[in-house]
Amino acid sequence: MKLKFENRGDVSVCYIEGEVDINTAPSIKKTFDKITREKSSKVAINFKDVSYVDSSGLATLVEILKNMRTYGGKLKLTNLSPKIKSLFEITKLDKLFDIVSQEEDAISSFA
Amino acid sequence: MKNLEASAFLKNDESMDATFEVPSEIRYIRKASERVLKGLVRRRLNASVLFDIRLCVEEAVRNAIVHGNGLDKRLPVKVTYGIDGKRFGITVEDKGRGFNYKRVPDPTKEKNIWRGGGRGVYLINYLMDRVEFNDKGNVIKMVKYI
Repeated sequence: MKLKFENRGDVSVCYIEGEVDINTAPSIKKTFDKITREKSSKVAINFKDVSYVDSSGLATLVEILKNMRTYGGKLKLTNLSPKIKSLFEITKLDKLFDIVSQEEDAISSFA
Repeated sequence: MKNLEASAFLKNDESMDATFEVPSEIRYIRKASERVLKGLVRRRLNASVLFDIRLCVEEAVRNAIVHGNGLDKRLPVKVTYGIDGKRFGITVEDKGRGFNYKRVPDPTKEKNIWRGGGRGVYLINYLMDRVEFNDKGNVIKMVKYI
């Protein structure tokens, strides 16, 4: 799993490459702990190169969202494959997360 | 086949059975799913079905390793799987005390949705066509029509 951040205006876009699962979730969580410590207010995670997500990955994303909400930070998820998006729908996490089809739309939708 | 138990049909097609054990370490979750998926290569299943099977195998093996065997490396998790026609069946067994699978909170409910756990079993129930636990709760049997 690789993870990198790029600034797009005032939005920090996180690109994850690989899998978001029990093996990689601790590393993702650790990286985002820094983001939340810095109180980044606008963050998008681009899933275009994410091939697999499991329940540990979902739980980690929930934790990241929860942490960001404590200081009013906004998190959007973009470019999810239909299969991975379906996991959010099955678990009703699509009601919790702001899921946007394309990264550009996610960036422009930050108020 | 209606009301088919994974174990029942595995017994009916012993030539397709495969059994293996993994130690209770996180790194063996992936190894277990890889081994099962390797056994399905010849079936040329579509990517969506393979994703579902991988996810359910990993969630079940994870629960067995983490919650069942408490990450005790000395305790094995036993996996038995097979295909009979259009049915894929798999049984995952740990050495733990089991759990009350009927009392797993629904992770989609508002009061639980921010919680960390509970989604593994929920996803298994959703993605597999038949799911059963033994009374003790240390063996899960799953069937998916492929």
